Amino acid sequence: MPASASTDPGEVSDLDLVKRSQTGDTRAFDVLVTRYRGRIYAMTYHLIQNETEAWDLAQEAFIKAWRALPTFKHDAGFYTWLYRIAHNVSYDWLRKKKIQGDGEFDDERTEHRIAAGAEAAPRGDLAPDTALRNAELGQRIQEAIAKLSPEHRQVIVLREVEGLAYEEIAALIPCSLGTVMSRLFYARKKLQEQLHDVYETSL
Amino acid sequence: MKHPSEEHDLVRWIDGEMNEAERATFEERFKHEPALATEARTMRAMSASLRAHLPAEMRVPHADYFNTQIEVRITQIALDEARAKQGGTGWSAALQWLRQPWFALAGTAALAVVGFVLLYPDTNGASESVILSSFAPNTHVQARTYHDSGAEATVLMLDGLDAVPAERKVSGINIQRSEVEPELASTTMFNGQGTAVLMISRDALGNHLISPH
Amino acid sequence: MKAFLSALTLSFCVASAFGQEQAAQPVVSSVKHATDGHVWGALIFATNQADQLTGAKEPEYSDLPRLHERLARVFPFKHFEILGQHRQDIFREYESWVVPSRELFMKIDSKGPADKGGVNLHLQVWREHQVLVKSDAVLRKDSPLFIGGPPWKDGRLIFVLFLERK
Repeated sequence: MPASASTDPGEVSDLDLVKRSQTGDTRAFDVLVTRYRGRIYAMTYHLIQNETEAWDLAQEAFIKAWRALPTFKHDAGFYTWLYRIAHNVSYDWLRKKKIQGDGEFDDERTEHRIAAGAEAAPRGDLAPDTALRNAELGQRIQEAIAKLSPEHRQVIVLREVEGLAYEEIAALIPCSLGTVMSRLFYARKKLQEQLHDVYETSL
Repeated sequence: MKHPSEEHDLVRWIDGEMNEAERATFEERFKHEPALATEARTMRAMSASLRAHLPAEMRVPHADYFNTQIEVRITQIALDEARAKQGGTGWSAALQWLRQPWFALAGTAALAVVGFVLLYPDTNGASESVILSSFAPNTHVQARTYHDSGAEATVLMLDGLDAVPAERKVSGINIQRSEVEPELASTTMFNGQGTAVLMISRDALGNHLISPH
Repeated sequence: MKAFLSALTLSFCVASAFGQEQAAQPVVSSVKHATDGHVWGALIFATNQADQLTGAKEPEYSDLPRLHERLARVFPFKHFEILGQHRQDIFREYESWVVPSRELFMKIDSKGPADKGGVNLHLQVWREHQVLVKSDAVLRKDSPLFIGGPPWKDGRLIFVLFLERK
């Protein structure tokens, strides 16, 4: 399950804040928004790949959560419940907009293999411009993710960003474990195609 | 759980989901299949790189405004629900909101919304349009909103915008109809003669593009 | 917030309304999408200098009576010229664009119906590739929204949004 933010001893617990929110206490809900907005925004941003839309959708997620508070049963953590709402809001938006992956990996195509002898580790040398290279790599990664289909982007975000187990991903989507693994495989292959020069040995 | 396909094995190896025996068996193949070894290690390196560059938490742009907007919206929801329950309009109904439990617990921005609605409660006559909240990303721009009863209009004044250069030719379009194609994430706009004059679509990054048709 | 629409190109041609030799393209009917209202949006140029008017021949909009008089109560100008206008459905499920001009246009997201036939909206006023303002609003019939935009020449550009009775 996505890890909740750890609560400092002096902080009010999620449980208390949720119970107060359920009575209509918007200030308690505001504390929850502040506590989790960074995580929720990151998830929507990685899925949507657009700052403005991700911002709007993260808001929508919190507003939907507010409306749905009467149905929250306290059996799972609040963040897990909120995360599921945010994921569904974002993914539904993504499917509606049908942002197509460019050059989607095709099962029938010859599998693209990295050249034998290519260095396994990325170029992470200690050159003075490492920070710049890191920024460039980050940009390249974002661009590569943006080219994935919604389904492939979804599994990459859930696994690589959120660290969800395969079973958790399968339950969230929902789909079979085999589908999760297949999508992960093809999403990574697609990304590898986009980023192959980053990981090739300079000859 | 055993997954026979090589693709699943690769994924599980990259993600550290294999047990000791499975991992040893899989890595044994590297000695005889260098292409597999290369692919596996490269993919694992890329996976690590993704995790390093895709943070699980990000700073929300205009974070205070983010919260304020949510507060305003949920206050509006509460007002609409209260109004629907109590029915009617006018001051008597509006004042009943003061007795609602959430009113005392509303934050500052929410109270501003409540205050605005109390000042301009619905009456049996015409209702005005309302700007509940506004935000200008450019800090040099000030957004002011008010209702002008003489003009019978609600005003949103944006002060501090950069002027359009005087030599710029600002021209208009006359659009009477548009059609949305969700599969293409595009909207085509037509003039009164039914001619398509404009299209708005999205590029792969989700940015909007306006183009001639 | 970083500007986007980096690939925006706005070099479209305005199809002339009259005397066009080419035949109008056939109107293709598409699936009807759920809507929460219908708006009229216009870009107005306000000025005190009659010689600065562009000569745009946009028809007056009869559903919004005394528009010039009402604008004059808010904006200190003598002349109000409609440069462009756009009648648009507010889609329930999709964003709606109101583009009376490439200079100033609007994105609308419906947040559902409000009372008395009004509609809850999230508005974004755009200028080329930048968002000028974001706003949550309730738009009601017979109650236009006047948005004071950027200065131009010795006057000002104004965006008007009006919920139509449909």
